[in-house]
Amino acid sequence: MQTIELLRDGFASALSWGHLLWALAGVTLGTAVGVLPGIGPALTVALLLPITFNLDPTSAFIMFGGIYYGAMYGGSTTSILLNTPGETGSIATAIDGHAMARQGRGASALTTAAIGSFVAGTLATIALTFFSPLLASAALRFGPAEYFALSVLAFMTASALIGGSLARGLFSLFLGLALGLIGIDQLTGNARFAFGIPQLLDGIDVLILVIGLFAVGETFFQVWRHGRDAPAVVALQTFTGMSREDWRRSWRPWLRGTAIGFPLGVLPVGGSVIPTFLSYSVEKRLSARPEEFGHGAIEGVAGPEAANNAAAAGVLVPLLTLGLPSSATAAVLLAAFEQYGLQPGPLLFSSRPDLVWTLIASLYIGNAMLLVLNLPLVRVWARVMLVPRPLLFGGILVLASLGTYSLNSSALDVVLLFAAGVVGCAMRAHDVPLVPAVLGLVLGPLAELQFRRALAISEGDPSVFVTRPLCAALLAASAVALILPVVFKGRRP
Amino acid sequence: MTRRACAALVRAMVLLGCASGAFAQPAIDELRIIAPAAPGGGWDQTARAMQQALQRAGLVRIAPVENVPGAAGTIGLARFIGAEAGRSDVVLVSGLIMLGGIVTHRAPVTLHDVTPLARLTGEYEVIAVPAASPFRTLRDLLDAFIARPESISWGGGSAGGSDQILAGLVADAVGVPPARVNYIAFSGGGESMAAILGGQVSAGINGLAEFAPQIEAGTLRPLAISSAERLAGVDVPTLREQGLPIEFENWRSLAAPPGLAAADRARLESLIAAMVKSPPWRETLARYRWLDRYLAGDAFVRFAAAEESRVRNVLRKFAEGQSGGTAPEPYPWIVIAGLLVTGGLLGRQVFRSAGARDTSRSPRAPVVLLAAAVALHLLLLENAGFVIAAAVLFWLAARAFDPRHPLRDGCFAVGVSVSAYVLFARVLHLSLPAGLLAGWL
Repeated sequence: MQTIELLRDGFASALSWGHLLWALAGVTLGTAVGVLPGIGPALTVALLLPITFNLDPTSAFIMFGGIYYGAMYGGSTTSILLNTPGETGSIATAIDGHAMARQGRGASALTTAAIGSFVAGTLATIALTFFSPLLASAALRFGPAEYFALSVLAFMTASALIGGSLARGLFSLFLGLALGLIGIDQLTGNARFAFGIPQLLDGIDVLILVIGLFAVGETFFQVWRHGRDAPAVVALQTFTGMSREDWRRSWRPWLRGTAIGFPLGVLPVGGSVIPTFLSYSVEKRLSARPEEFGHGAIEGVAGPEAANNAAAAGVLVPLLTLGLPSSATAAVLLAAFEQYGLQPGPLLFSSRPDLVWTLIASLYIGNAMLLVLNLPLVRVWARVMLVPRPLLFGGILVLASLGTYSLNSSALDVVLLFAAGVVGCAMRAHDVPLVPAVLGLVLGPLAELQFRRALAISEGDPSVFVTRPLCAALLAASAVALILPVVFKGRRP
Repeated sequence: MTRRACAALVRAMVLLGCASGAFAQPAIDELRIIAPAAPGGGWDQTARAMQQALQRAGLVRIAPVENVPGAAGTIGLARFIGAEAGRSDVVLVSGLIMLGGIVTHRAPVTLHDVTPLARLTGEYEVIAVPAASPFRTLRDLLDAFIARPESISWGGGSAGGSDQILAGLVADAVGVPPARVNYIAFSGGGESMAAILGGQVSAGINGLAEFAPQIEAGTLRPLAISSAERLAGVDVPTLREQGLPIEFENWRSLAAPPGLAAADRARLESLIAAMVKSPPWRETLARYRWLDRYLAGDAFVRFAAAEESRVRNVLRKFAEGQSGGTAPEPYPWIVIAGLLVTGGLLGRQVFRSAGARDTSRSPRAPVVLLAAAVALHLLLLENAGFVIAAAVLFWLAARAFDPRHPLRDGCFAVGVSVSAYVLFARVLHLSLPAGLLAGWL
């Protein structure tokens, strides 16, 4: 097969000791900067790109591969250990990952995240190697109507996250939806619910809400509920990664996460929230022990982490085959490729096959290097949980404020952060689940925008949602996702 | 084992240091470039291209880029005016889209509040349709548009941006009220391109550089370009030769803070003049397919004023039909009603179970201490600077958990705050308020 030959040539030019060193440097830097709160993958890549400008194209691409996957992976570490996700893709990881860390199973959570990222990254890169053009043209069939249907599907499957009390779950969801109303209405450019505050025009950044509700809220709640005689964090059970049981429970979620994450990453309007939360709710649905979710189920870390990395590889499909940057990170990468005379677009594979295949080979190498670097580091990171509580929580508050401020250089965001912390504390005190609020904030504006776009294009004719086959199929799937659990619950004695 | 993490960070610092290091001894030590947008967009790319050109040409030793995103650049503009007034070591990337943003978002500040330096680049806009579209020429498209304006959906970038402005100018030129343009705003180049390629919209408007690869590959059919004359190597008819008297470009420019001394202004202007002639900048222009539209001094000021009135005019016409025409959106009210209903239900449940709930809590002192920590932090952040605010937050919060180790907690508070500041502000060049310790760190 021609693809395999081309890929072999790519590896031939990418594999040398010097290049492997660049891959290691890229992964190290990408992970190190990606771990810092508030510095997401896009900024990490933008900050580190100047380093590659003085290199030859092959070395530079090898380093890109490392930086890209490293930055994507870095966010999971702070999610698991400190409940402080650095980017939207690791929000789902934080739910069960941090619960595991508090039970002393931080090393297992970090290991399943690292291996899951590697497995997903490798499988997704293989899919990228062989099916890119096919997938890219399929993704173009997604219009506003289909995206609306997709967000409805995400809403429905996420009902698994609502928890025991319907009133509490729905309240949380509506709180998120209401916060999502704030900001510029993208379709008209008019401000909504911004109360004349310019900083609110772009809406409330989901990361601020997440860090506020989870990390700051947790800190406040500890003091509120327990004061000075709070129970200690459970001592570390093990520093040595995953048990046999952990492996048995992780491998299926890795594969399912990859299968969910990669195709959704290919869609030009993706983002990493939908694939990671879809993976989370699928794992919960399929689990024999759904009650463990939210209290340290390893499947809840393995699935979303795999989905996140697979989506990251998926983003490269429209970028390389169509020249479409579908995320901020991809836009930064696009600029970097242009630096080397690569003009991503429909002709890229035919005009510069040498560079493209070197880049794809670099992705495999960067991904493998990520595992090599991070598995030994897991033991180091896991010890963070041994830090005395006053210092740990003091540090979490400082990191939360630092990360929030560096998102937009806005002091108002820090005020919002601590306000969200107070809300998070109150929600915890009354057993209101936090995750539906996050989903509402992310999915609400997306669903509304795509719904109105679809109607604007059809000149107000609502039949687009049933006459377009793909859209109708997705909406039908949403209905099934909503009805099935009710039916099953009814039959159960 | 933490040594390994430290080693990684040290390596990061060394590499970042090398990358930003200069080749000769430059005349200017540091010039900060503010991109009022998130990484990845046109302003961010312009800022980073300038960073490269200035450093490589040896004109400036170090030129860190700061991103201050939000509201079409008007957040960055407001901050630039407020925080940097009178400074001569910082510039702001701006341009046509900011004019649109100022109008659309009724920003309290305008480009009259900064010191204009120069126009740097321009990009012509192209109107295109997917290869499979029934529209072969601009005439075909406009005939359908004139017959029934709403039936043609125009896909492009965010509302109030250059793409929508061009759609409005075209509508105005053929006698259709801009308010009747069925403009579908997408949030970025990639998203709108996908909608155009996939045939989700009837026609698309975007910059030439973004469309060029698709045009070369034959996946898009260009119908018109907004330049005055045909461009060399770009076989696309202009709007003008097809009977529409429109010339339009998405220009990007530079501004300095308000209240700049005349000598400082002259120094910055000559720096920019040197940069646009430098080989690294020429290479960048070619690579990104940006046009060199360097224009400085009074000529630029006059140009910007003319553009401003044109943008205001078009965007006002867009808004004219909207205020009366569209019904209030039901969605926000559904959400608010849902929030009130579920909130009421929850409140009732909580109220009813309040008696049964175990309300005993530990003494109030820790809660008060923590509240004080947060309040002081917010108060000090922009006044006394990040380091002091963070140290106070850390120390008081730690004491809320356990008051027995004030000295240990204090040492960690200072250590964590200072190292976080040094890492973010000094190594990564991200903006954090330096405050009172500005001279020390």
